Amino acid sequence: MTNSQTIQLDPTGAAARFTRPLRLSAAEDLRGYIGSHLGRAFLFMTTFLSVVAVLLIFAFVVYEALPFFFKGSWADAFARVKEFLTANNWYPQREHDPYYGALAIITGSLYVTVCSLLLAVPIGVLAAVFLSDIAPFQLRQICKPLIEILAAIPSVAYGVFAVMVVAPWMQRRLGFNTGANALNASLILAVMALPTIISVAEDALSAIGRKTREASYALGATRAETIVKVVIPAAHSGIVAAVILGMMRAIGETMVVWMASGNASRIPSPWWDLSQSIRTMTATIAGELGEVPKGSDHYYVLFAIGILLLAFTFTLNLFSEYFMAKVKRQARGG
Amino acid sequence: MRTKLREWTNHSFTTLSSMTILLMAAALLLFLLPMFSKGLTAVFFGGTVEFRKMQAELFKRGNPETLQREMDSTQQARAEIFALLERFSRGIDTAQLESDAKTLFRQYGDELRFRNVPTEKFIELRQEARRVRDRLIEAYENTDKDEVLPILEEITNLGSSPQFVGTSMETLIAMAGDYRAAIRGVDLTRRPEYAAALEAVKEQLRWLFGPLPGESIPALAMYRFGATRRDMMEKHIRYLIWQERWIEQEPGKPLVKTLVRRDDPETGVFAGTELVPLFALVEENADAMLNPRFTFYWQYFIDDSTPGHYFGGVGPEILGTLLLTLLAILFAVPPGIISAAYLVEYAGDNVVIKVIRTCINTLAGVPSIVYGLFGLAFFVTVVGHPSILTASMTLALLILPVVIRASEEAIRSVPQTYREASLALGSGKFRTFTSVTLPAAGPGILTGIILSLSRAAGETAPILFAGAVALGPIPDFTGKWWLQPSRALSYGCYDITVGDKLAMMVPHNQFGMVMTLILLVLTLNITAIVIRSHMSRKLRGS
Repeated sequence: MTNSQTIQLDPTGAAARFTRPLRLSAAEDLRGYIGSHLGRAFLFMTTFLSVVAVLLIFAFVVYEALPFFFKGSWADAFARVKEFLTANNWYPQREHDPYYGALAIITGSLYVTVCSLLLAVPIGVLAAVFLSDIAPFQLRQICKPLIEILAAIPSVAYGVFAVMVVAPWMQRRLGFNTGANALNASLILAVMALPTIISVAEDALSAIGRKTREASYALGATRAETIVKVVIPAAHSGIVAAVILGMMRAIGETMVVWMASGNASRIPSPWWDLSQSIRTMTATIAGELGEVPKGSDHYYVLFAIGILLLAFTFTLNLFSEYFMAKVKRQARGG
Repeated sequence: MRTKLREWTNHSFTTLSSMTILLMAAALLLFLLPMFSKGLTAVFFGGTVEFRKMQAELFKRGNPETLQREMDSTQQARAEIFALLERFSRGIDTAQLESDAKTLFRQYGDELRFRNVPTEKFIELRQEARRVRDRLIEAYENTDKDEVLPILEEITNLGSSPQFVGTSMETLIAMAGDYRAAIRGVDLTRRPEYAAALEAVKEQLRWLFGPLPGESIPALAMYRFGATRRDMMEKHIRYLIWQERWIEQEPGKPLVKTLVRRDDPETGVFAGTELVPLFALVEENADAMLNPRFTFYWQYFIDDSTPGHYFGGVGPEILGTLLLTLLAILFAVPPGIISAAYLVEYAGDNVVIKVIRTCINTLAGVPSIVYGLFGLAFFVTVVGHPSILTASMTLALLILPVVIRASEEAIRSVPQTYREASLALGSGKFRTFTSVTLPAAGPGILTGIILSLSRAAGETAPILFAGAVALGPIPDFTGKWWLQPSRALSYGCYDITVGDKLAMMVPHNQFGMVMTLILLVLTLNITAIVIRSHMSRKLRGS
């Protein structure tokens, strides 16, 4: 019915007032061409800001760390690097002849990271399996926000929880000398790494698709067999990426380890004794940078620890990108 | 059999993996429950009259008349306690008594001079008075009751002597009588012990009722008021009445550390003294003396705090966090959205773009403390000193990758048909983006912004050295507020739990601040989740 109505153009409407020629003049065309390229360049420059930021971060951290190593001859610098990486005594506040051996600090970081991952990876992968293969849609809709909230809670709040709730409990119930120890920090770090691991692993598992699963079911495999023997091996690169991202989260975490690990710069002995205090790279920077005068050796060495942290995370990031690219290729190919 | 085993394995696998989710839910609950249950006590609690007094004095709140009435009635209830204390300390605190006696003697000399007594008479009277005074001091210093009582007897008998009537000496002689009454139930050999115990009692009474009568007003606000809350009141009453002592349970056995009442007739410190009724009085009349009643202290979220967060709220911290995060968003969102638009709409798949993507991922993976290092080495050096500006720029860098990723995803999820429709209508690529793609991606971008807001609010490590302070004035908005450092919730949480000794005494405020931070972050996140679920419902077309 509406079709049969004749469309009357309003003689005073917008269409009537549109007097510009439909073809652009040469100048206008040129202006538009230049304008669009300038705009593109502007957009590119803005996007390039991230690259600049990364470069600046690397440059400034390295720049501030260099004076610690390069003060005299090359041999001297080498000796300092060697002391920094292999010696075990961290006494930067000593007045004469301070020691800057960061080995215990580096191992401390790795120690809590590995411990937390030992906890978080099995739980995280199982939870990802649950979300991708087992949980019904409704339940998944409830679980996802739960994981998001777990990820959103600020690290300092987890730190407060570790200090005010977990530490007294450990002293009372487990009979530890101190509530601020490697176990406390690892537990909390595991909770913090879980959401990352779950969401990345779940994406990887979902990317495998129905076909693979159905093929397995058709061969008579149970759900457990399908997941363990087919889906997880197929999604292994995504799961590895999940573990790496979880590791990045744990190694870069500051507030929790600063508050909950006890900050004792020594390697636990025996090595499996989680009830001892340890100290991490991040906590060392956070705890000491506020108190050192700018331009002292101690100030520079903290930036050297920053370089180590950057190197760790950058390498891990490259690995995770490699595995994520594999996942993407898989998803496109499958 | 084998099928059974496979079935069993399958079931246990299902159970195990569902357990993991339950475990996480339990972890979340285990975390949130104590935080909120203890944190809410900072806002909901039994506020005593001391609390209202504190509010009136520090924050100019409440009705002065009703407060005065309340204070009068509680003061009346407390009067008996103070009287008991006064009477008992008179028998114990001999240094005070001695100085009182000396003062009275001096006054007596002045009175004599005022009355123009002839010189010889003056010397004679003064000498006699001095003798009385010395005897009294002797009595005060002696711990043998058998010697003290006759001396006091002797002095009181002098009271009727005509030369002292109506003078300060009469008061001095009356002091001897008082002292005799005061030491009736006191074992004078244990006087040092009593003095120490009395000091402990006074300390607890000060925590309960504020400065005792006759004491000067302390400079620190935390000592100016007594127990402001019911839980503090109960705690200090417990400390007042109970004491840990090493008690011999059986002869010959090692002493055992036990909690005993201070007024216990056998083992208590004050057994048999006049101070005994004080403890029962405080215990029974605590409500009348402090008048605790349910208080909803919503001003906790706007009030400034006294040092160590002993009194007051988290107002400046909330303000600082808002300033920091909003400024950070202001810095990060425009480049973030532009980057995302470029990456989705214009960028091809060449090496440069790959490098850019790697850099964005690296930026997202850089540990937060390294941002702190960079903020200190770059922004703080450029601006000159740590301030809100440097802190928010550091935070902006931190949330930039978050904004880019969220916006990219949102722009990518706009159906291609939208763009094609717009292009078909003759608008250019730019116009299509600003008038079609961007509005369609708006809610998604908004979600990303809200999430990065919550991320920025919770981060502590980047602002540690770049402008966050634990104690400091509220930014002065008449001047260049962005060049001043500021308090922030996240750093405050750290400081109040680990850094500040005073704050350890007020766990409700410690948890209160953490609860505020969690509440802020959770509210932002839940908003984002709600917007997203709305959006996905719209995209599904129902």
